[in-house]
Amino acid sequence: MRPDPGPDPSVAIPEPGAAVLPAYVLRVPTGPYRALNPLTKFVIAIASAVVAFGVRGWTGPLSVLVVTAAVALIAGVSRSLRRFVLATIPIVASILLVNAFLYPGATDVLFRVGPFAATGTGVTVALQAVLRVVAFALSVAVFSLTTATDDFLADMERRGTGRRLTFVIGSAIRTIPTMGSRAIEIVEAQRARGLDTEGSIRRRLRGIVPLAGPMVFGSLGEVEERTIALEARAFSAPVRRTAMRALPDSSTQRVLRWVVGLGSLVAVAVSVAGRFPLP
Amino acid sequence: MAWLSRQFSTRVIVLIPIAIAINIVLGYTVQTILKLPIYLDSIGTILVGVLAGPIAGALTGILSNLIWQYAPGIGGGTIGPFAITAGVIGLLAGIWGQLAVYKSRPASGTQLLLAAIAAAVIVIVVVIPILNNPAYTDPNVGGYPSWVYTAAAVIAVVVAVVVAGFIYIRRDLAGLWVAVAGVVTGIIAAFVSAPISAIAFGGVTGGGTDLLVAALRQGGSDVLHASLGQGLFSDPIDKTITSFVVFMILSGLSGRLLARFPLGERLVRDRAA
Repeated sequence: MRPDPGPDPSVAIPEPGAAVLPAYVLRVPTGPYRALNPLTKFVIAIASAVVAFGVRGWTGPLSVLVVTAAVALIAGVSRSLRRFVLATIPIVASILLVNAFLYPGATDVLFRVGPFAATGTGVTVALQAVLRVVAFALSVAVFSLTTATDDFLADMERRGTGRRLTFVIGSAIRTIPTMGSRAIEIVEAQRARGLDTEGSIRRRLRGIVPLAGPMVFGSLGEVEERTIALEARAFSAPVRRTAMRALPDSSTQRVLRWVVGLGSLVAVAVSVAGRFPLP
Repeated sequence: MAWLSRQFSTRVIVLIPIAIAINIVLGYTVQTILKLPIYLDSIGTILVGVLAGPIAGALTGILSNLIWQYAPGIGGGTIGPFAITAGVIGLLAGIWGQLAVYKSRPASGTQLLLAAIAAAVIVIVVVIPILNNPAYTDPNVGGYPSWVYTAAAVIAVVVAVVVAGFIYIRRDLAGLWVAVAGVVTGIIAAFVSAPISAIAFGGVTGGGTDLLVAALRQGGSDVLHASLGQGLFSDPIDKTITSFVVFMILSGLSGRLLARFPLGERLVRDRAA
């Protein structure tokens, strides 16, 4: 411990949320929907997923689709949604083909292609599953396009989530791009040494070890350094960190979170019990 | 509580994000660059489970899938609902770690030969009930293509030979237990995944394994059983390969490094002998 030099008049002691912090620390997201508290957006995203998958039939996925599309329009992210929708094409194609032509026990044949018959039941099931997948993908897209990771984690920590959990999530998200570029470097280095990424399955299977080895060993080597760095910065100190950023929240949003969260669970419960009034 | 907090030492807290990144980046690379029909997206999860314990492993699995789904710039796809499966895989890996499954057990002579044969037999015994599924064998259930049956049998034999060879060449009994752990993990993962796939995605996943789902349905299986049949085929193979990759990684790390993790003492070979 350093001896306390006493209050220095030239340095302002930062109080939580005090105005002495530079603007880039305190900046809050602005704009429609983006300005909502990160937790509100997260609850909406999770509730959308729960309703899209949990409420059977047409109503669940369709209502999520409509609400999410409207939110995307309001937030001004509808153009960026295309990438997320395109990413669902493989599974959408698979759902349509497998269910339309090979739905177990369905006999109401619509048309035939060779030995396979498309059935009405199968097509209905397939379309519902496709709507569910697209609605879910859009709800994910709206959350990740309107919420900065730092904001979400800062807000979670201010609400009392453990520092360890927020560190794990934040660090993982930051590590992924670094490791991605390391993976590309390794692949190119191994290709230069003759790694076959185009040949037969047997040859490509052999590529696993020269690929996984350097990546895993290289990153495990960092564990020791990072552990020492964190311990030197009092990571396992038994006190809470001071939250410098307070993201705006309101009682309206708190009510909204409870209504949306509980509402989605009730809707799923009613649907599972078979008492959902809509198709 | 001491049992729980011991799993989350600072060293483990640092390892988990790296494990999550390994899961996501390696899973993506194997599937898109090497273009192999396996997932290999649980190496990090199993690594954390074995080094730290069941809860740490489960947390790594669940967070991997949620981050893969929701993180800005990385997110997308349909992996999120399978967070439950990933959690179960991490939990099981933690149990294997506590049972010291991955500990190196050098052996020689008859003992080694017996272990190699036992491992091969276990693989075959696990595969037989899957192959005896009426969808594969009964021509009355549907015009099931016989090449899939042949392919399944060939893959089973290849896996059995590789596992036995691995044990024999490395002169290490641990290979037997690693194979058992991988197969059991795969079977449980398949049972957890099938309902998720059936409820959320109409029974398919969007990958090459959907061909298998289609074939099983053609053979008369319902939605859930077709997904389960596909999972029981792919998952034990995938998890066995993953377990062996983790085993090779662990045996490549120094004892000094391993011993610092919560379950480290169950991985390092006894020096007394």
